[in-house]
Amino acid sequence: MAHLSVILFEPSYLIREGIKTLLGNCGITFSMEEYEQIGTNFNRLLDKIKPQVVIINTKLFNGFLIERKRDPDHNPIIFVALIQHETTDNVLGQFDFVIDTTFEKQRLIKTFEDVFRACYNQLPENESTSLSERENTILKYIALGWTNPEIASKLYISAHTVMTHRKNITRKLGIRTISGLTVYAILNKLIRMEELEQGNKI
Amino acid sequence: MHINKEMKMADVIHMNHHLLHVINRFGIQLGFGEKSVREVCEHYHVNLNFFLEIVNTYHDQTYFPVRELQGFPVGMLIDYLQKTHKYYLEYKIPDIERIIDKLSDEKDYESTHLILLQQFFHDYKNELTNHILSEEQRVYPYILALERALNSLDDSSCSPCVDYSIDQYEEEHDDVESKLFDLKNIIIKYMPSPRESKLFNHMLHELFELEKDLNNHAHIEDLILVPMVSQMELKLEESNNRRT
Repeated sequence: MAHLSVILFEPSYLIREGIKTLLGNCGITFSMEEYEQIGTNFNRLLDKIKPQVVIINTKLFNGFLIERKRDPDHNPIIFVALIQHETTDNVLGQFDFVIDTTFEKQRLIKTFEDVFRACYNQLPENESTSLSERENTILKYIALGWTNPEIASKLYISAHTVMTHRKNITRKLGIRTISGLTVYAILNKLIRMEELEQGNKI
Repeated sequence: MHINKEMKMADVIHMNHHLLHVINRFGIQLGFGEKSVREVCEHYHVNLNFFLEIVNTYHDQTYFPVRELQGFPVGMLIDYLQKTHKYYLEYKIPDIERIIDKLSDEKDYESTHLILLQQFFHDYKNELTNHILSEEQRVYPYILALERALNSLDDSSCSPCVDYSIDQYEEEHDDVESKLFDLKNIIIKYMPSPRESKLFNHMLHELFELEKDLNNHAHIEDLILVPMVSQMELKLEESNNRRT
């Protein structure tokens, strides 16, 4: 199961700990960044961390609008409102899910499961974790130090398509850097070590 | 449970031995006897409150008191960050290199794999070293000059090297982090392990520790140091504007 990245904005320590325990009980592997307040760097933070789920206590939410980015390369973030008191509907309208801290245990668990099911549904279905033939070819050129436009013209595809393949390769393998991909390519005999250009760093 | 000044230092280590190398950074060595945290800090002339905040952020990853940490002099933070740099370059990195080199003693271990690991780690080490050097040679001196300038606002020679601003700094962390992440993943998922995987286990353990330490370090830089310096820059600019 994929690893989820979550950001939680909640002033209460007790509630933050409670949510973490609950997610653990649901059997979800996640990493969580916690904040007591929402700062002016809110949108920058989302850009940097690229979470799948953002949970916000609506108390902290004084009227600003969530920027819903339509970035084709990223799945939309799922926003969850955490409420402890009456909240006006126009605020809640911005959120995908609402969790009331007064919910009883089963309902809390069910709601969280719904949230995470929604995340997983965004992932391509039945994705095989091994690389396709095309991805292997592209990985080989990446390891040899070719640039995106060079790969694109060699394979008669657009540079944008190359980028998409690269993103998929990185996601499937869990390797982000070119040197990491190069090591993978050698280990899997896509290229031989001698093929690396001189001066091309591993 | 957080560490407080009245606890015995020996109990602190019993509670969390991972703190040992953090404590060492303050110049504090083992052999605490029955001394409390407060007494040990006094003995070593270490600022007690700063010590407690740093050790606790390390002990409890959810504890990060931004306001308190921003209250300490910027020079104190830099001194601590420099000591962590020294720890990476002089202890942690050579330790990991030694483990990788030991792999060459494993008779059945394929040399290609060993070379790949050595080169990848070498590459990572260079990048980390360059990053650290740029902080020590460019960023920290700039911050200290800024502090001096603020402390002597009447002095006419008070604008520090104007070619740098802390805004440039924030972008620079990423690739070093990604490389370490990749290395862990390659070892866990793809690199064939020697028949006895003890060395690999050991190496992974060290890499996870290094990563945890680097994360704490980066947190202090990004959430404490950078905002403090932005404030200082603003203050200096205002006072310069007032004078002209």
